[in-house]
Amino acid sequence: MGKYILRRFWQSIITVLIVLFVMFMLLRLMPKENYFTRDDYINMTEEDRTAYLRNLGVLDNPLVQFVRFLRGFVTGDLGRSITVYPKTPISEILKEKIPYSLWFGLVSVLLSVILGFLMGIGMANNKDKLGDQLGTMYVVAVRAIPSLVYLFLIQMWITHLFNLPMVFYEDEPASWILPAISLSLSGIAWYAIWLRRFMVDEENKDYIKFAIAKGLPRNYIMKRHVLRNALVPLVQYLPSQILLTIAGSLIIESIYSIPGMGGLLVYAIRQQDNTLVQALVCIYSILGVFGVFLGDILMAIVDPRIKLTSAKIEREVTA
Amino acid sequence: MKTNNTNIKMKLDTSPKNYGDILIEAKDVEVIFNLRGKKLKALRGAGLVLRSGETLTIVGESGSGKSVLSKTLIGMLDKNGTITNGSILYRGVDLARISREEDWLTIRGKRIAMIFQDPMTALNPLKKIGEQIREVIVMHCGLDARASRTAALEMLEKVGITDPERRYEQYPHEFSGGMRQRVVIATAIACNPEILICDEPTTALDVTIQAQILELIKKLQKDMGLSVLFITHDLGVVAKMADKIAVMYAGQVVEEGSVEEIFYDSRHPYTWALLASLPQLGVKGKELFAIKGTPPSLFKEIQGDAFAPRNPYALQVDFYHEPPLFEISPTHRARTWLLDANAPKVEPPEIVVKLREHLKKTTGR
Repeated sequence: MGKYILRRFWQSIITVLIVLFVMFMLLRLMPKENYFTRDDYINMTEEDRTAYLRNLGVLDNPLVQFVRFLRGFVTGDLGRSITVYPKTPISEILKEKIPYSLWFGLVSVLLSVILGFLMGIGMANNKDKLGDQLGTMYVVAVRAIPSLVYLFLIQMWITHLFNLPMVFYEDEPASWILPAISLSLSGIAWYAIWLRRFMVDEENKDYIKFAIAKGLPRNYIMKRHVLRNALVPLVQYLPSQILLTIAGSLIIESIYSIPGMGGLLVYAIRQQDNTLVQALVCIYSILGVFGVFLGDILMAIVDPRIKLTSAKIEREVTA
Repeated sequence: MKTNNTNIKMKLDTSPKNYGDILIEAKDVEVIFNLRGKKLKALRGAGLVLRSGETLTIVGESGSGKSVLSKTLIGMLDKNGTITNGSILYRGVDLARISREEDWLTIRGKRIAMIFQDPMTALNPLKKIGEQIREVIVMHCGLDARASRTAALEMLEKVGITDPERRYEQYPHEFSGGMRQRVVIATAIACNPEILICDEPTTALDVTIQAQILELIKKLQKDMGLSVLFITHDLGVVAKMADKIAVMYAGQVVEEGSVEEIFYDSRHPYTWALLASLPQLGVKGKELFAIKGTPPSLFKEIQGDAFAPRNPYALQVDFYHEPPLFEISPTHRARTWLLDANAPKVEPPEIVVKLREHLKKTTGR
């Protein structure tokens, strides 16, 4: 196990480095004018501009810049934003924004997992019956209707019905409820439909037929065999989903005006804020890759068949 | 819980003597499957008798209803199948009428156990071997954690698994096919059932291991006094295992009898054809015998004898009236008009007549 973790760890590091390198080099191809705010660019003379760029270090050899960027990242210096929040250190922007996205995200993952699993179990247990069909309708609706549509409906009607605030205020807990629920709707659907599917898959396997022939009661089989085995393919996704909550949600955060991370990357790209883009891509790709890494480790823990340290699977030759 | 509704509590007569040596007597069992609105009659009045301590093998080609018949015995028909007629008597209870799952739980695995074809998929891949045996023991024998563990270890040893302590903690992927089938057997017989149904237990195994598993089943049968219902289409396995044979065709038992009677004195043309197609009887250079045509579709009502269209010995009457079961000896019965007093005298094919010699010549037995 230890060896397996170590090997997967190194693989993850290499993956991240490749992602960062490609991203960094692509950004070097962008026009140099992007390093100025508009006012600065107009007010500076040509010499000032060159001096400014040299000072920033963007005229150096790209490889040198890349190494400097990595060194800065490790020591916590992410550079300063250029156009989105002019001259503000990126680490400060993140420090301010991440908590909103993180807390809403974590609550929504928790809600999604609990409600989604309950719903999936209920649907698998009542396969093809009314409960299952209602569940499927919910899933299809949430996944098929553009989220903006039902999110607006929620914002308009539910706020009215329960007298909840329309937008997020930090000091008013009642205003936290709707964003958290809205954020969970599609997660619930995702977990429900996959758990149902994996449970139905397991139920049709031969070992369940044999378990029935053993005379085990249905409830016991559903709990100890079907559910247990159906969870295995799902646990793999948990770590990355938890880690990536940091990225926030563009739509929900803008609907409820939550000052979180959602959309920050999009704005940064649109306004060609190179330093912010590279810092965000760096963080997200590290979280993404390590989410998968943690998922793989979880898988190896819950599934005894995965022992990738070596191909030494012991098998008695005698029948 | 009050039982003052129409649901009469099932009562299993567990005293050993009351029913002579007949354990299971199935009569006229009819099973209909509902397949997308169409009705498929998988069993058309099949019956069998299983006596205590003996091995009854059911042979027949795919789709003849062997597995369906065996599944009715432990209430494991697929959801779209129902028993529409007939009775299956077991210790004073008609198994064909049990509808409640709780009632089945007192029989399934506890008194009648079943193992299936493919040992590679019959075990939960994520559960320790020992735990999979132990859960049955806890469920049916009511032993506590420690006692059930000891019992599970004993079962592993009983089916010939060495070093059971270590093997108990292992997972199915660490076992070979033959070993897994041993584990499956250990699980099935863990609570000392009376009847073991084996649905082609060796079909998925390679030949050398087949023989070991067959020997194991025979040995366990002797040690534990099991009655075995053995489903196969391998006549070689039949010859090795069976006391009695039931030949099935198109949802009916067309001939039943002891091994001797079926192999050396069979009366039904379908049995003849089956025996004649034994590859061991083939003569080098000659084509192997094969039954022409295909079995009838069970979606349609069958008129007359189901085998008639493929039967070179078919009489006129075969196409209009279904033959009854004619009794040849107290143990030997066949469903063919050839046994009627008015039927013309017909000789079975030469290869079947000389089966004894043939077998001696080719197998040395």
